[in-house]
Formats: sequence, structure tokens, C-alpha cells
Amino acid sequence: MERRNFFKLLSMAWAAVVLLPGRLLAKTEKAAAPASSGASGTGKLPEYAKEMRDSDMYGLGPDGKPTGQKATFTGASKANATAEKAMRHKMKLTKQEQAVLDGKDGEEKAKLMKILVAFGNTFGAEKLVDLGGAPHSNMFIGAEYMKSMIKMLDECAKAGLKSYAPYTVNPRPYDVYNVQNNPKDMTMIYEGYKLQRDLDYVHVRLGAPDLNYRTCACYLDEIGNAPEPGTYVAWAESSAVNYGNSVLGIRTNRNGAGMDLIQAMLGKAPKFGLMTDEGRKAKWLVEVKTSKEPDWGAIGTAIGRKCVEDVPYVTGLDKYFKGGKVTADNMHLLKAMGSATASSGAVGLYHVEGVTPDAKKMGKKLLAKGYETYVIDDKEQARIISTFKNLWPKKDADPTACFIGCPHNTYYEVVKWGKMVTEALKKAGKKKAAIPVYMFMPNKVRDRAIEEHGELVSKMKRAGMHATNMCSVSYAGMKGFSERVRGVTNSAKTRNYSTIRYFPDEILVKIIVTGKIPKGA
Amino acid sequence: MAKKTFRGRPMLAGKIEGKALVSKQPFNLTGSYLKNMFAGETESAPCTDSANKELYEKDLKGAIICTPQTVGSTMGAGTIMMLSELGVGPQAFLFSSHIDSISAGGLIIDDVWNGRRVITIDLLGDEFLEAVKTGDPITIHEDGTVEVG
Repeated sequence: MERRNFFKLLSMAWAAVVLLPGRLLAKTEKAAAPASSGASGTGKLPEYAKEMRDSDMYGLGPDGKPTGQKATFTGASKANATAEKAMRHKMKLTKQEQAVLDGKDGEEKAKLMKILVAFGNTFGAEKLVDLGGAPHSNMFIGAEYMKSMIKMLDECAKAGLKSYAPYTVNPRPYDVYNVQNNPKDMTMIYEGYKLQRDLDYVHVRLGAPDLNYRTCACYLDEIGNAPEPGTYVAWAESSAVNYGNSVLGIRTNRNGAGMDLIQAMLGKAPKFGLMTDEGRKAKWLVEVKTSKEPDWGAIGTAIGRKCVEDVPYVTGLDKYFKGGKVTADNMHLLKAMGSATASSGAVGLYHVEGVTPDAKKMGKKLLAKGYETYVIDDKEQARIISTFKNLWPKKDADPTACFIGCPHNTYYEVVKWGKMVTEALKKAGKKKAAIPVYMFMPNKVRDRAIEEHGELVSKMKRAGMHATNMCSVSYAGMKGFSERVRGVTNSAKTRNYSTIRYFPDEILVKIIVTGKIPKGA
Repeated sequence: MAKKTFRGRPMLAGKIEGKALVSKQPFNLTGSYLKNMFAGETESAPCTDSANKELYEKDLKGAIICTPQTVGSTMGAGTIMMLSELGVGPQAFLFSSHIDSISAGGLIIDDVWNGRRVITIDLLGDEFLEAVKTGDPITIHEDGTVEVG
């Protein structure tokens, strides 16, 4: 709670900041070739880059073939849009917004407004709305192909523009302290992410706090970016958008890198899709009828594949949330399910009957006219899990590392995994895990664990469990990863984007202790 | 071949003539330009998306890309801006479906901030993609009309 106040206090202070007058844009520099790899002309693709397409929203199924899924990636389908209607649409602007567009606050801000208005018109927004809470950005890749985007943001920072409130940012794509502190990984990192420093510096000037707050799970108490229900925000990062819309009840579309910060600098967003009552209606009724507690990652994957970017209304899950409450010790269940819906499809919002705020308020009235029904029972869950193929190049080899926490671990998960693994090791008469266990979390969560469970954290460290604040998916998406690392994970999202194999928690503990995949697992 | 006319939404309007390069499957924005992104390729834009049988290894520089929508990383907006900066981007995108938010963001930002326009027409309809073939002559008009043939 203290840290939520930190965000609120900073927001108030920043509201008083007078933006500097706009400056003339620097003349466009002549295009320069990326310096990476030293190649030119028909340069050979560096090894590390060959699989970069597998890192994120790549349109390929688990078999490596295109899924053919079509989506706007806003979290709101536009399947029925027509050209005639779309081209006539124009948002109405307030006088103040029009003045900004006309240059009242400088040339840079006028351009940002022009971009936002065009973007809003493209997606049929009715108007611009004022943003509250705090933004969350997914601009986290300091690779050279992001140079032009980073340059634009740098020009904004130089013009004195800033986010309307301090904002959170996705984790960095690497960690040379705790995981990738070997020469080969460090070479790939320093070749592949040459602009990371420039990007971090841009974030500092636009209003992000220090790197200890970096995480994809910005809504954790230790970070404090959890706006009140109904607040309009402009978040990016599919899992954060998905959790925020669904569990917090905030209103944001799924924004791409760049658009998130443009909206943050203007303090406004075009209202369409998931920000509207109509766009939050469910086109799918998903009935979970498993005989035991479901595999949250598996059912999330099932929902994402079925609904793509339409909103599901999910029943049969309220029994796992006592009193219909999402608490520190059960929020990870929705984090796991939701992030899987957002990565196997492009779901930006889901309703859980009796649990999430919209569903509590409106119940089945959230179902849109003509909704479809999808039942997930034991058989369907098993079918989905059977599609999780073994993608290791050497299929029958032993695992070499375990990945826990994508999206980033909650404090509860860190303590739970710490106890599960160290106790299992003790029972097996071992002091160290058979394979390294990477525990992904923001530094703020790590610090809390040290403060409140120092002895356990020491045991975890000695057992080979490493806390890291980087992005699991970025790491697993690096070239050469699958040849060097045979990973196992509890994250359906990580599985969806990499060659890492997915297992239930109890199997993972056995793997961590023995270094072997149990027969039949 | 008989000329066929389609009407879409001129998201970023412009007039141009050229030849179609068709991808019936959604075009992977980041996966298609890996050589430009990572190998210092600045003369051409060889498609690096091996999952796209229609376009793999074809030169995408200056192309009029006809496809349903784009897919790819949420960093895709940055890719679009980089391609323009290198001068190897497409001349036009012709989408049969509604444009997605990632490419829309990149295309609009680059158009407004840098004054670099890739003509973009969306909502041309499934019939457009059924009719057009790679190599077909294409004429794009300011009002979003696209002539094939």
C-alpha cells in the first residue's frame, strides 16, 4: 500500500510540471545502416537472430506452422468492419484537444496528438478520454531495429515531454548478473541489445522509476501500479493488459510499443474496444467442468486458441477463490490463465463468474447476443495438453534448467516455490537442485523475500535457485537457446513462445530434484 | 486479364502503380525482415520468414504487399520505422481485413513524425485477396480504390 501511495504522490507532483515549449524538430538524419554484426549488403544473418521471430506474437502454432489466426491485436475483433463505414468515421475533439493538435503546446505534442487522433479514427474510437492511474509500457527491447522509435522518444524527452504519471516498464530482456554471466551470452546481449542504455535513459526522462521496478506484473503490491476499477489507462504488455482489464477492472486496449508512451505523454487515449461497455461484452461462454482444479495454463491456452481476441465469460472457477476474492495467495492462478489466453490468442479481457469485478456486477448480462459456448472438461484439457509437443532438438535428453515465473512471480509464489524445492531436496537428502532454477521476479519482490524470509532465501540460493528480474520469454527467444538449454517451466506463456517444456508444479519439483523427466510425464 | 476494382479504406492515402506481392497468410512484420534488422542488409529486403512459402527469400523492398493482416512482435512498429529509415520498406500495404494495431501504430507514427508514408489501404475484402496474384499490375488511387490487372 505504501508503494501505491508512492505512485500517487509522484503523479500529483508531476501534474504541476509545466511542459517546456516545443522546439523545432531536428532535420531528419540520413539513414544509416545498423552497425550490428559488421555485415553489409547481403550480410549473413547472425546465429542469434534466426529465431527472433519466435519471440512474440508470431502467428505460428506449436508445430511451427502458421496458425492463420487473424486479429487486430487490440483485444477487440473488427471482423465485421466495412470500408465504407470505417472511412467515414472521425472522432470529435474537445476545444482543448484541438488546440494541442494546432500546436498550442509545441510542435512535438501536436504531432503526438495527430498520431493519436489518426490511430483512434482507424479503430473507430468515439472520442479521447483522460487517463488516470499510471501507464505501463512494454518498450523494453534496446535492439538496433528499435533505433528509429527510440530516436522519436528521445526527441520527445528533449522537448520536455513527460508521462502524465510515473509509469512502470517491462523487465529488461537480459540479466548479466544472475543468469547470463558467461562470455557467449554476454556477446549475444551486447551485440543484440546495443541501444538498451539509450532506451533506459529515455524511460528515465519520460517518467519511469528506477530499474528495481521493472516487471511485466506491474500490478503486484510491491510495485503498486494497480489503478482503481473503471480507470482509463493505456497499458501495453499483453499479460498486464489482460490482468488489469479482467482482475483490476481497469479499462485499456492492448497497445503496441510506442503507442503506449504516446498516450502516456498526452494523458489521453482513444476510447474504443475494451475501453467501452460494448467492447467488454463476452462473445464466448466458457464452461470449465474439470473434475479437479484445472491446469490454469492449459485452460488459458484453450481459451486463447478458441476465442482469439474475443472476450470470454468463464464459469466454474469461483470455487477456487474463497468468497469470490482475488488475494495475494490466489492471484497467480488468474495470472497464469490470463497470460496464456493472451499469448496463445490475443485475449485482452476475460470475465470469471463470481470473481472478477465486471462479472460480479453484471453476471451473465455480460454475454453478447448470439454468444457461443465452449466447454473445457477433463477430456478437452487433456487434448490441449497433448498438443504441447516436445520441441527440444534432442528430445530424450535430460533437462538443463527450470524457468519459474512468466509473468513475474508474486511474493507468495516465490515463498511457495522456495519451500517446495528446498523441502523436497531435504527429503531426498540433497543440498542442491540437479538443474539451476531461475525465479523471475522484480527486484522489489526479491527484496521483500530477503527481508521477510531471509533464511529461506539463503537456502534457495544455496540450492541453486536464482532470482532474476529479466524477461523469461526474451531470454528463451534468443538464438542458440534451444541448442544450449533444454528448459522446463510452469508457464504456458513461456511454452507458447519457446522450446521450453511445460509441466505441472509437482512434476517440476521432481525434475528439479532429480534432473530427469519422470516417465510418462 | 480483365481489370478488377476493389474499394478499401485509405488509411494512409496515396497514388501509385506497381506489381503485387501476395501473402495469403498474415504477413509477419518482424520475422520477414531479420536480415535488415540484424545482418546489416541495406540494399534489399530478402524475406526471412521461412514459414511463409509465398514470400520466403523474395525481395520485399519497395513491394506492394497484399495480405490479410500483419502478425509479429509487439515491437513491430519499430520495425516499420527502421525499414523506412533504411529505404527498404514496402511502398504500400493492401490489407483485405481490418488493419492490426501494431502495424497501424508504426505506419501512422512514421508518417506523422518522420514524414515517411507507406500507402496503406485496409478492408479491401476477402474477394481482393482471392483475385490478386503475385506479379499482377496494381493501381492504387487516393480514394482507396485498388485496380488489379
